[in-house]
Amino acid sequence: MECPRCGSAARVMVKSPVGDVWEVYVCETCWYSWRSTETPVIIDKFKLDPAKIGELGVIPAVPPLD
Amino acid sequence: MARVYKDLREFLAALEEEGQLVRVKDEVMPEPDIGAAGRAASRMTDGPAVLFENIKGYKGTVVTNAHGSWANHALMMSMPKDTPTKEQFVELNRRWDKFPVPPNVLSREEALCKQNTITEDINLFEVLPLYRINEQDGGFFLSKASVVSYDPDVPDDFDKLNVGTYRIQVKDKDRVGIQALPMHDIAIQLAKAERKNEPLPIAITLGNNPLVTFMASTPVGYAQNEYEFVGALQDGVPTDIVAADTDPNLLVPAHCEVVLEGYIIPRARVVEGPFGEFPGSYSGARLQCEVQITRITHRDNPIFENLYLGMPWTEIDYLMALNTSVPLYKQLKTDFPEVQAVNAMYTHGIGTIVSIKPRYGGHAKGAAMRLLSTPHGMPYTKILIMVDDFVDPFNLEQVMWALTTRVLPSKDVTMIENAAGMPLDPSSYPAGMTTKLIIDATTPVAPEPNPRPVELLKDPVDTEKWNGIIRDMLKQMEA
Ligand SMILES: [Zn+2]
Repeated sequence: MECPRCGSAARVMVKSPVGDVWEVYVCETCWYSWRSTETPVIIDKFKLDPAKIGELGVIPAVPPLD
Repeated sequence: MARVYKDLREFLAALEEEGQLVRVKDEVMPEPDIGAAGRAASRMTDGPAVLFENIKGYKGTVVTNAHGSWANHALMMSMPKDTPTKEQFVELNRRWDKFPVPPNVLSREEALCKQNTITEDINLFEVLPLYRINEQDGGFFLSKASVVSYDPDVPDDFDKLNVGTYRIQVKDKDRVGIQALPMHDIAIQLAKAERKNEPLPIAITLGNNPLVTFMASTPVGYAQNEYEFVGALQDGVPTDIVAADTDPNLLVPAHCEVVLEGYIIPRARVVEGPFGEFPGSYSGARLQCEVQITRITHRDNPIFENLYLGMPWTEIDYLMALNTSVPLYKQLKTDFPEVQAVNAMYTHGIGTIVSIKPRYGGHAKGAAMRLLSTPHGMPYTKILIMVDDFVDPFNLEQVMWALTTRVLPSKDVTMIENAAGMPLDPSSYPAGMTTKLIIDATTPVAPEPNPRPVELLKDPVDTEKWNGIIRDMLKQMEA
Protein backbone atom coordinates (compact mmCIF):
# COMPACT_ATOMS: atom_id res chain seq x y z
CA MET A 1 0.00 0.00 0.00
CA GLU A 2 1.56 3.27 -1.13
CA CYS A 3 0.78 6.59 0.54
CA PRO A 4 -0.89 8.92 -2.00
CA ARG A 5 0.73 11.94 -0.36
CA CYS A 6 4.39 10.99 0.13
CA GLY A 7 4.77 7.63 -1.64
CA SER A 8 6.00 5.78 1.47
CA ALA A 9 4.64 2.42 2.54
CA ALA A 10 1.32 2.59 4.39
CA ARG A 11 -0.30 0.04 6.68
CA VAL A 12 -3.85 -0.90 7.63
CA MET A 13 -4.96 1.21 10.59
CA VAL A 14 -8.36 -0.39 11.09
CA LYS A 15 -11.06 -2.47 9.41
CA SER A 16 -14.73 -1.48 9.39
CA PRO A 17 -16.32 -2.30 12.76
CA VAL A 18 -19.40 -3.71 10.96
CA GLY A 19 -19.05 -6.13 8.08
CA ASP A 20 -15.90 -6.29 6.03
CA VAL A 21 -16.79 -3.29 3.90
CA TRP A 22 -13.75 -1.02 4.13
CA GLU A 23 -10.31 -0.53 5.64
CA VAL A 24 -8.54 2.63 6.71
CA TYR A 25 -4.88 3.00 5.79
CA VAL A 26 -2.29 5.23 7.41
CA CYS A 27 1.18 6.30 6.35
CA GLU A 28 3.74 6.24 9.14
CA THR A 29 5.95 8.78 7.37
CA CYS A 30 3.46 11.63 6.84
CA TRP A 31 0.44 10.30 8.81
CA TYR A 32 -1.97 10.75 5.93
CA SER A 33 -4.93 8.40 6.31
CA TRP A 34 -7.68 7.33 3.94
CA ARG A 35 -10.46 4.80 3.53
CA SER A 36 -10.38 2.08 0.91
CA THR A 37 -13.67 3.42 -0.49
CA GLU A 38 -11.99 6.76 -1.29
CA THR A 39 -9.77 7.57 -4.26
CA PRO A 40 -7.50 10.23 -2.80
CA VAL A 41 -6.03 12.79 -5.18
CA ILE A 42 -3.58 14.95 -3.27
CA ILE A 43 -3.04 18.32 -4.93
CA ASP A 44 0.62 19.17 -5.58
CA LYS A 45 0.63 21.90 -2.95
CA PHE A 46 -0.09 19.32 -0.24
CA LYS A 47 2.30 16.57 -1.42
CA LEU A 48 5.02 15.76 1.09
CA ASP A 49 8.36 13.97 1.25
CA PRO A 50 10.81 13.48 4.14
CA ALA A 51 12.74 16.65 3.23
CA LYS A 52 9.58 18.75 3.19
CA ILE A 53 8.42 17.21 6.46
CA GLY A 54 11.68 18.32 8.09
CA GLU A 55 10.98 21.89 7.02
CA LEU A 56 7.38 22.11 8.23
CA GLY A 57 6.50 24.73 10.81
CA VAL A 58 6.27 23.60 14.45
CA ILE A 59 3.11 24.52 16.40
CA PRO A 60 3.60 25.40 19.18
CA ALA A 61 7.37 25.70 19.51
CA VAL A 62 8.91 23.23 21.98
CA PRO A 63 10.04 25.27 25.01
CA PRO A 64 13.48 24.84 26.63
CA LEU A 65 13.68 22.39 29.53
CA ASP A 66 13.68 23.95 33.02
CA MET B 1 -36.75 30.66 33.61
CA ALA B 2 -35.21 29.33 30.44
CA ARG B 3 -35.64 25.67 29.47
CA VAL B 4 -32.40 23.85 30.18
CA TYR B 5 -31.07 20.87 28.23
CA LYS B 6 -29.33 18.33 30.41
CA ASP B 7 -27.42 16.94 27.45
CA LEU B 8 -27.14 16.86 23.67
CA ARG B 9 -30.03 14.36 23.40
CA GLU B 10 -32.52 16.71 25.04
CA PHE B 11 -31.40 19.49 22.67
CA LEU B 12 -31.81 17.22 19.64
CA ALA B 13 -35.29 16.28 20.85
CA ALA B 14 -36.19 19.97 21.08
CA LEU B 15 -34.83 20.59 17.58
CA GLU B 16 -36.92 17.71 16.25
CA GLU B 17 -40.09 19.01 17.96
CA GLU B 18 -39.53 22.36 16.28
CA GLY B 19 -38.90 20.88 12.84
CA GLN B 20 -35.18 21.67 13.03
CA LEU B 21 -33.76 18.14 12.79
CA VAL B 22 -33.98 15.59 9.99
CA ARG B 23 -33.16 11.88 10.33
CA VAL B 24 -31.42 10.11 7.46
CA LYS B 25 -32.40 6.44 7.80
CA ASP B 26 -31.00 5.18 4.49
CA GLU B 27 -27.44 3.88 4.49
CA VAL B 28 -24.88 6.56 3.61
CA MET B 29 -21.15 6.48 2.91
CA PRO B 30 -18.89 8.21 5.46
CA GLU B 31 -17.40 10.13 2.52
CA PRO B 32 -18.63 12.26 0.96
CA ASP B 33 -22.16 12.09 2.39
CA ILE B 34 -21.74 13.40 5.93
CA GLY B 35 -19.54 16.36 5.05
CA ALA B 36 -21.72 17.20 2.06
CA ALA B 37 -24.90 17.17 4.14
CA GLY B 38 -23.29 19.45 6.74
CA ARG B 39 -22.31 21.83 3.94
CA ALA B 40 -25.78 21.81 2.45
CA ALA B 41 -27.71 22.20 5.71
CA SER B 42 -25.59 25.10 6.97
CA ARG B 43 -26.13 26.99 3.72
CA MET B 44 -29.94 26.91 4.09
CA THR B 45 -31.83 29.66 5.84
CA ASP B 46 -32.89 28.10 9.15
CA GLY B 47 -31.17 24.86 8.12
CA PRO B 48 -31.78 21.80 10.34
CA ALA B 49 -29.50 19.45 12.22
CA VAL B 50 -28.94 16.23 10.24
CA LEU B 51 -28.84 12.90 12.08
CA PHE B 52 -27.42 9.90 10.20
CA GLU B 53 -28.70 6.61 11.56
CA ASN B 54 -27.03 4.17 9.18
CA ILE B 55 -23.43 4.71 8.07
CA LYS B 56 -21.72 2.02 6.04
CA GLY B 57 -19.34 -0.06 8.14
CA TYR B 58 -20.15 1.65 11.43
CA LYS B 59 -22.32 0.91 14.43
CA GLY B 60 -23.13 4.41 15.64
CA THR B 61 -24.93 7.54 14.53
CA VAL B 62 -23.64 11.00 13.57
CA VAL B 63 -25.30 14.37 14.02
CA THR B 64 -24.08 17.43 12.18
CA ASN B 65 -25.27 21.05 11.94
CA ALA B 66 -26.86 20.98 15.42
CA HIS B 67 -25.84 24.66 15.92
CA GLY B 68 -25.96 25.51 12.23
CA SER B 69 -28.72 28.12 11.84
CA TRP B 70 -30.16 31.10 13.68
CA ALA B 71 -33.23 29.00 14.44
CA ASN B 72 -31.12 26.27 16.08
CA HIS B 73 -29.06 28.91 17.87
CA ALA B 74 -32.22 30.46 19.32
CA LEU B 75 -33.47 27.02 20.40
CA MET B 76 -30.10 26.38 22.08
CA MET B 77 -31.00 29.31 24.32
CA SER B 78 -34.61 28.06 24.53
CA MET B 79 -35.88 31.14 22.73
CA PRO B 80 -38.51 31.04 19.93
CA LYS B 81 -36.82 29.84 16.76
CA ASP B 82 -37.62 33.04 14.83
CA THR B 83 -35.87 35.32 17.38
CA PRO B 84 -33.82 37.96 15.51
CA THR B 85 -30.03 37.84 15.94
CA LYS B 86 -29.87 41.16 17.80
CA GLU B 87 -32.43 39.89 20.35
CA GLN B 88 -30.39 36.72 20.85
CA PHE B 89 -27.35 38.95 21.45
CA VAL B 90 -29.25 41.01 24.05
CA GLU B 91 -30.50 37.90 25.86
CA LEU B 92 -27.04 36.34 25.92
CA ASN B 93 -25.68 39.53 27.47
CA ARG B 94 -28.33 39.43 30.17
CA ARG B 95 -27.54 35.82 31.09
CA TRP B 96 -23.77 36.41 30.83
CA ASP B 97 -23.95 38.68 33.87
CA LYS B 98 -25.09 35.75 36.03
CA PHE B 99 -21.51 34.39 35.87
CA PRO B 100 -20.27 32.60 37.92
CA VAL B 101 -22.78 29.78 38.49
CA PRO B 102 -20.77 26.90 40.01
CA PRO B 103 -21.56 23.49 38.44
CA ASN B 104 -22.81 20.39 40.23
CA VAL B 105 -20.09 17.78 40.58
CA LEU B 106 -21.78 14.39 40.23
CA SER B 107 -20.59 11.00 41.42
CA ARG B 108 -19.42 8.52 38.81
CA GLU B 109 -22.66 6.52 39.20
CA GLU B 110 -24.80 9.58 38.40
CA ALA B 111 -22.92 10.52 35.23
CA LEU B 112 -24.33 9.07 32.01
CA CYS B 113 -20.99 9.46 30.21
CA LYS B 114 -19.72 6.57 32.39
CA GLN B 115 -22.20 3.97 31.15
CA ASN B 116 -19.42 2.14 29.28
CA THR B 117 -15.67 2.04 29.86
CA ILE B 118 -12.92 0.92 27.47
CA THR B 119 -9.36 0.53 28.72
CA GLU B 120 -7.92 -2.15 26.46
CA ASP B 121 -7.62 -2.45 22.68
CA ILE B 122 -8.79 1.12 22.32
CA ASN B 123 -10.23 1.70 18.86
CA LEU B 124 -11.82 5.08 18.19
CA PHE B 125 -13.58 3.66 15.12
CA GLU B 126 -15.58 1.28 17.32
CA VAL B 127 -17.08 4.24 19.18
CA LEU B 128 -17.12 7.06 16.62
CA PRO B 129 -18.20 6.90 12.95
CA LEU B 130 -15.18 8.93 11.83
CA TYR B 131 -15.16 10.55 8.40
CA ARG B 132 -13.23 13.03 6.24
CA ILE B 133 -14.89 16.46 6.33
CA ASN B 134 -13.26 18.12 3.29
CA GLU B 135 -11.52 16.42 0.39
CA GLN B 136 -7.95 17.64 1.01
CA ASP B 137 -8.03 17.12 4.79
CA GLY B 138 -5.06 14.97 5.85
CA GLY B 139 -7.33 12.51 7.70
CA PHE B 140 -10.50 12.23 9.77
CA PHE B 141 -11.02 15.14 12.13
CA LEU B 142 -13.01 15.83 15.28
CA SER B 143 -14.20 19.38 14.61
CA LYS B 144 -16.56 19.89 17.54
CA ALA B 145 -14.84 18.37 20.57
CA SER B 146 -14.42 20.22 23.86
CA VAL B 147 -10.96 19.65 25.29
CA VAL B 148 -10.49 19.81 29.07
CA SER B 149 -7.08 20.52 30.58
CA TYR B 150 -5.65 22.23 33.65
CA ASP B 151 -2.71 24.37 34.65
CA PRO B 152 0.00 21.91 35.80
CA ASP B 153 1.27 24.46 38.34
CA VAL B 154 -2.14 24.44 40.06
CA PRO B 155 -3.91 21.22 38.97
CA ASP B 156 -6.85 21.70 41.36
CA ASP B 157 -7.45 25.39 40.57
CA PHE B 158 -10.95 25.12 39.13
CA ASP B 159 -10.85 28.68 37.76
CA LYS B 160 -7.92 27.75 35.55
CA LEU B 161 -9.47 24.51 34.30
CA ASN B 162 -9.74 25.10 30.57
CA VAL B 163 -12.50 23.85 28.30
CA GLY B 164 -11.65 24.74 24.72
CA THR B 165 -12.29 23.70 21.14
CA TYR B 166 -9.23 22.61 19.20
CA ARG B 167 -9.10 20.70 15.96
CA ILE B 168 -8.20 17.04 16.39
CA GLN B 169 -6.92 14.66 13.71
CA VAL B 170 -7.22 10.90 14.13
CA LYS B 171 -3.71 9.47 13.68
CA ASP B 172 -4.31 5.93 14.81
CA LYS B 173 -6.88 3.79 16.63
CA ASP B 174 -5.77 5.26 19.96
CA ARG B 175 -3.82 8.39 19.06
CA VAL B 176 -4.86 11.83 17.80
CA GLY B 177 -3.15 15.05 16.79
CA ILE B 178 -4.23 18.31 18.41
CA GLN B 179 -3.69 21.92 17.38
CA ALA B 180 -2.59 24.13 20.26
CA LEU B 181 -1.97 27.60 18.79
CA PRO B 182 0.33 29.77 20.94
CA MET B 183 -2.51 32.26 21.56
CA HIS B 184 -4.80 29.60 23.05
CA ASP B 185 -5.10 28.78 26.76
CA ILE B 186 -4.06 25.15 26.33
CA ALA B 187 -0.71 26.25 24.88
CA ILE B 188 0.13 28.04 28.15
CA GLN B 189 -0.58 24.83 30.09
CA LEU B 190 1.28 22.68 27.62
CA ALA B 191 4.40 24.85 27.78
CA LYS B 192 4.50 24.50 31.57
CA ALA B 193 4.31 20.68 31.28
CA GLU B 194 6.83 20.50 28.47
CA ARG B 195 9.39 22.60 30.35
CA LYS B 196 9.41 19.72 32.86
CA ASN B 197 9.19 17.06 30.13
CA GLU B 198 5.90 15.88 31.61
CA PRO B 199 2.72 14.76 29.81
CA LEU B 200 -0.25 17.13 30.02
CA PRO B 201 -3.36 15.15 31.02
CA ILE B 202 -6.40 15.97 28.89
CA ALA B 203 -9.94 14.81 28.29
CA ILE B 204 -11.61 15.19 24.91
CA THR B 205 -15.38 15.32 25.31
CA LEU B 206 -17.80 14.79 22.42
CA GLY B 207 -21.53 15.28 22.10
CA ASN B 208 -21.86 17.83 24.87
CA ASN B 209 -24.74 19.88 26.19
CA PRO B 210 -25.05 22.53 23.43
CA LEU B 211 -24.08 25.37 25.75
CA VAL B 212 -20.91 23.54 26.82
CA THR B 213 -19.90 23.36 23.16
CA PHE B 214 -20.87 27.02 22.82
CA MET B 215 -18.75 28.08 25.81
CA ALA B 216 -15.80 25.90 24.78
CA SER B 217 -15.52 28.01 21.63
CA THR B 218 -15.97 31.31 23.49
CA PRO B 219 -12.89 33.44 24.16
CA VAL B 220 -13.01 34.01 27.95
CA GLY B 221 -10.23 34.93 30.38
CA TYR B 222 -7.60 32.38 31.40
CA ALA B 223 -8.92 32.35 34.98
CA GLN B 224 -12.62 32.23 34.03
CA ASN B 225 -14.16 28.78 34.19
CA GLU B 226 -16.29 27.78 31.21
CA TYR B 227 -18.66 25.57 33.26
CA GLU B 228 -19.52 28.53 35.47
CA PHE B 229 -20.47 30.38 32.29
CA VAL B 230 -22.65 27.46 31.13
CA GLY B 231 -24.64 27.83 34.36
CA ALA B 232 -24.97 31.56 33.67
CA LEU B 233 -26.18 30.97 30.11
CA GLN B 234 -28.65 28.40 31.49
CA ASP B 235 -30.11 31.43 33.28
CA GLY B 236 -28.63 30.43 36.62
CA VAL B 237 -29.15 26.64 36.46
CA PRO B 238 -25.85 24.83 37.23
CA THR B 239 -24.51 22.36 34.69
CA ASP B 240 -23.49 18.81 35.71
CA ILE B 241 -19.86 17.72 35.60
CA VAL B 242 -17.92 14.68 36.78
CA ALA B 243 -14.25 13.80 37.31
CA ALA B 244 -12.45 11.92 34.57
CA ASP B 245 -11.43 8.42 35.63
CA THR B 246 -7.73 8.94 34.96
CA ASP B 247 -7.35 12.31 36.73
CA PRO B 248 -9.65 13.77 39.42
CA ASN B 249 -8.80 17.33 38.35
CA LEU B 250 -10.08 16.84 34.80
CA LEU B 251 -13.77 17.65 35.13
CA VAL B 252 -15.90 16.72 32.13
CA PRO B 253 -19.57 17.26 31.18
CA ALA B 254 -21.38 14.51 33.09
CA HIS B 255 -23.84 13.54 30.38
CA CYS B 256 -21.77 13.98 27.24
CA GLU B 257 -21.74 11.16 24.69
CA VAL B 258 -18.06 10.19 24.69
CA VAL B 259 -14.96 11.07 26.75
CA LEU B 260 -11.49 10.29 25.41
CA GLU B 261 -9.00 10.44 28.26
CA GLY B 262 -5.25 10.61 27.82
CA TYR B 263 -2.31 12.95 27.71
CA ILE B 264 -0.38 15.17 25.31
CA ILE B 265 2.93 13.46 24.59
CA PRO B 266 5.57 15.95 25.78
CA ARG B 267 8.07 17.58 23.42
CA ALA B 268 6.96 15.60 20.37
CA ARG B 269 5.60 17.16 17.16
CA VAL B 270 4.24 15.11 14.29
CA VAL B 271 2.74 15.98 10.88
CA GLU B 272 -0.84 17.24 11.19
CA GLY B 273 -3.15 18.60 8.49
CA PRO B 274 -4.02 19.97 6.07
CA PHE B 275 -7.45 20.88 7.37
CA GLY B 276 -10.17 22.97 5.77
CA GLU B 277 -10.51 25.85 8.20
CA PHE B 278 -13.07 28.48 9.14
CA PRO B 279 -11.61 31.27 6.94
CA GLY B 280 -12.69 29.15 3.95
CA SER B 281 -9.24 27.85 3.01
CA TYR B 282 -7.05 24.92 3.98
CA SER B 283 -4.37 25.38 6.58
CA GLY B 284 -1.46 23.26 5.42
CA ALA B 285 0.48 20.49 7.14
CA ARG B 286 2.52 21.44 10.24
CA LEU B 287 4.31 19.55 12.97
CA GLN B 288 1.91 19.52 15.92
CA CYS B 289 1.22 17.79 19.23
CA GLU B 290 -0.24 14.32 19.68
CA VAL B 291 -2.47 12.83 22.34
CA GLN B 292 -2.24 9.22 23.53
CA ILE B 293 -5.72 7.96 24.41
CA THR B 294 -5.62 5.64 27.42
CA ARG B 295 -9.28 5.32 28.32
CA ILE B 296 -12.68 5.90 26.75
CA THR B 297 -15.97 6.23 28.56
CA HIS B 298 -19.22 6.60 26.63
CA ARG B 299 -22.99 6.48 26.86
CA ASP B 300 -25.01 3.60 25.51
CA ASN B 301 -25.37 4.00 21.73
CA PRO B 302 -23.27 7.15 21.61
CA ILE B 303 -24.05 9.87 19.07
CA PHE B 304 -21.00 11.35 17.33
CA GLU B 305 -21.52 15.10 17.01
CA ASN B 306 -19.27 16.84 14.49
CA LEU B 307 -19.51 19.97 12.37
CA TYR B 308 -18.83 20.98 8.80
CA LEU B 309 -16.57 23.97 8.31
CA GLY B 310 -15.51 25.47 5.02
CA MET B 311 -16.36 28.52 2.96
CA PRO B 312 -18.41 30.76 5.33
CA TRP B 313 -21.14 30.55 6.38
CA THR B 314 -21.07 27.08 7.91
CA GLU B 315 -22.05 25.64 11.28
CA ILE B 316 -18.87 26.95 12.89
CA ASP B 317 -19.80 30.52 11.90
CA TYR B 318 -23.09 30.19 13.79
CA LEU B 319 -21.33 28.59 16.73
CA MET B 320 -18.68 31.34 16.95
CA ALA B 321 -20.92 34.29 16.11
CA LEU B 322 -22.47 35.64 19.28
CA ASN B 323 -20.02 33.96 21.63
CA THR B 324 -17.30 36.06 19.99
CA SER B 325 -19.47 39.19 20.02
CA VAL B 326 -20.55 39.11 23.68
CA PRO B 327 -17.10 38.99 25.36
CA LEU B 328 -15.87 41.82 23.13
CA TYR B 329 -18.98 43.83 23.99
CA LYS B 330 -18.51 43.24 27.72
CA GLN B 331 -14.84 44.22 27.60
CA LEU B 332 -15.58 47.36 25.61
CA LYS B 333 -18.61 48.36 27.66
CA THR B 334 -16.48 48.58 30.84
CA ASP B 335 -14.67 51.69 29.63
CA PHE B 336 -17.09 52.81 26.91
CA PRO B 337 -20.66 52.65 28.25
CA GLU B 338 -21.72 54.43 25.06
CA VAL B 339 -21.23 51.19 23.11
CA GLN B 340 -24.61 49.70 22.17
CA ALA B 341 -23.75 46.38 20.52
CA VAL B 342 -20.86 44.45 18.96
CA ASN B 343 -21.23 42.20 15.93
CA ALA B 344 -18.04 40.13 15.67
CA MET B 345 -19.63 37.39 13.56
CA TYR B 346 -17.44 37.56 10.49
CA THR B 347 -14.75 34.87 10.40
CA HIS B 348 -14.46 34.70 14.20
CA GLY B 349 -14.27 38.47 14.59
CA ILE B 350 -11.73 39.23 11.84
CA GLY B 351 -14.53 41.50 10.65
CA THR B 352 -16.33 43.37 13.43
CA ILE B 353 -18.99 46.09 13.60
CA VAL B 354 -19.57 48.20 16.72
CA SER B 355 -22.46 50.60 17.34
CA ILE B 356 -21.73 53.50 19.67
CA LYS B 357 -23.14 56.90 20.64
CA PRO B 358 -19.95 58.98 20.51
CA ARG B 359 -19.74 61.82 23.05
CA TYR B 360 -16.99 63.88 21.38
CA GLY B 361 -14.85 63.92 18.26
CA GLY B 362 -12.55 60.91 18.03
CA HIS B 363 -14.50 58.96 20.65
CA ALA B 364 -15.55 56.20 18.24
CA LYS B 365 -11.98 55.82 16.99
CA GLY B 366 -10.76 55.58 20.60
CA ALA B 367 -13.27 52.79 21.29
CA ALA B 368 -12.08 51.06 18.11
CA MET B 369 -8.50 51.10 19.37
CA ARG B 370 -9.68 49.67 22.69
CA LEU B 371 -11.38 46.79 20.86
CA LEU B 372 -8.19 46.16 18.89
CA SER B 373 -6.27 45.73 22.15
CA THR B 374 -8.66 43.28 23.85
CA PRO B 375 -7.36 39.71 24.22
CA HIS B 376 -9.45 38.46 21.30
CA GLY B 377 -9.58 41.64 19.23
CA MET B 378 -5.81 42.06 19.15
CA PRO B 379 -4.98 38.93 17.17
CA TYR B 380 -8.30 38.49 15.36
CA THR B 381 -10.00 41.76 14.47
CA LYS B 382 -8.60 43.25 11.27
CA ILE B 383 -11.49 45.20 9.76
CA LEU B 384 -13.45 47.24 12.25
CA ILE B 385 -16.46 49.36 11.36
CA MET B 386 -17.84 51.86 13.88
CA VAL B 387 -21.50 52.88 13.36
CA ASP B 388 -23.90 55.16 15.22
CA ASP B 389 -26.00 53.90 18.11
CA PHE B 390 -29.18 53.92 16.00
CA VAL B 391 -27.66 51.54 13.44
CA ASP B 392 -28.20 47.82 14.16
CA PRO B 393 -24.75 46.28 13.61
CA PHE B 394 -26.41 42.90 12.95
CA ASN B 395 -28.34 44.40 10.03
CA LEU B 396 -25.88 44.61 7.14
CA GLU B 397 -28.23 46.78 5.04
CA GLN B 398 -28.11 49.37 7.78
CA VAL B 399 -24.33 49.02 8.10
CA MET B 400 -23.94 49.56 4.36
CA TRP B 401 -26.13 52.68 4.67
CA ALA B 402 -23.75 54.00 7.33
CA LEU B 403 -20.71 53.24 5.16
CA THR B 404 -22.20 54.90 2.08
CA THR B 405 -23.50 58.07 3.75
CA ARG B 406 -21.36 58.65 6.88
CA VAL B 407 -17.84 57.97 5.66
CA LEU B 408 -15.46 60.51 4.09
CA PRO B 409 -12.60 58.10 3.38
CA SER B 410 -9.82 60.72 3.51
CA LYS B 411 -10.47 61.31 7.22
CA ASP B 412 -12.58 58.37 8.42
CA VAL B 413 -10.41 55.46 7.30
CA THR B 414 -7.37 54.63 9.45
CA MET B 415 -4.79 51.91 8.91
CA ILE B 416 -2.42 50.65 11.60
CA GLU B 417 0.45 48.75 10.06
CA ASN B 418 2.55 45.87 11.36
CA ALA B 419 -0.02 44.75 13.92
CA ALA B 420 -0.92 41.35 15.37
CA GLY B 421 -3.08 39.19 13.11
CA MET B 422 -4.61 35.75 12.90
CA PRO B 423 -2.23 33.22 11.27
CA LEU B 424 -5.13 31.33 9.65
CA ASP B 425 -6.09 34.55 7.81
CA PRO B 426 -4.23 33.91 4.55
CA SER B 427 -3.86 37.64 3.92
CA SER B 428 -1.74 38.04 7.07
CA TYR B 429 1.93 38.24 6.12
CA PRO B 430 4.10 36.93 7.54
CA ALA B 431 1.43 34.65 9.03
CA GLY B 432 0.23 36.40 12.16
CA MET B 433 1.12 39.97 11.10
CA THR B 434 -1.44 42.25 9.54
CA THR B 435 -2.66 45.82 9.05
CA LYS B 436 -5.67 46.94 11.08
CA LEU B 437 -8.39 48.90 9.28
CA ILE B 438 -10.75 51.18 11.20
CA ILE B 439 -13.66 52.75 9.35
CA ASP B 440 -15.40 55.39 11.45
CA ALA B 441 -18.93 55.48 10.03
CA THR B 442 -20.39 57.47 12.91
CA THR B 443 -21.80 60.98 12.45
CA PRO B 444 -19.16 63.60 13.42
CA VAL B 445 -19.51 65.02 16.94
CA ALA B 446 -17.82 68.29 18.14
CA PRO B 447 -15.05 69.27 18.20
CA GLU B 448 -14.81 67.30 14.96
CA PRO B 449 -16.46 69.55 12.35
CA ASN B 450 -19.66 68.39 10.70
CA PRO B 451 -19.92 70.95 7.90
CA ARG B 452 -23.01 69.43 6.26
CA PRO B 453 -25.36 68.33 9.03
CA VAL B 454 -28.53 66.65 7.79
CA GLU B 455 -31.95 65.85 9.08
CA LEU B 456 -32.42 62.07 9.04
CA LEU B 457 -35.65 60.62 7.74
CA LYS B 458 -37.99 59.06 10.24
CA ASP B 459 -40.60 56.37 9.59
CA PRO B 460 -43.98 57.90 8.78
CA VAL B 461 -46.47 57.97 11.67
CA ASP B 462 -48.41 54.67 11.81
CA THR B 463 -45.70 52.64 10.08
CA GLU B 464 -45.88 50.16 12.94
CA LYS B 465 -49.68 49.98 12.66
CA TRP B 466 -49.40 49.25 8.93
CA ASN B 467 -46.73 46.66 9.59
CA GLY B 468 -49.34 44.78 11.63
CA ILE B 469 -52.11 45.24 9.08
CA ILE B 470 -50.02 43.98 6.15
CA ARG B 471 -48.75 40.98 8.14
CA ASP B 472 -52.30 40.02 9.08
CA MET B 473 -53.41 40.29 5.45
CA LEU B 474 -50.53 38.04 4.37
CA LYS B 475 -51.45 35.48 7.03
CA GLN B 476 -55.08 35.47 5.83
CA MET B 477 -53.90 34.87 2.25
CA GLU B 478 -51.81 31.89 3.46
CA ALA B 479 -54.74 30.40 5.40
ZN1 LIG C 1 2.74 9.51 3.53
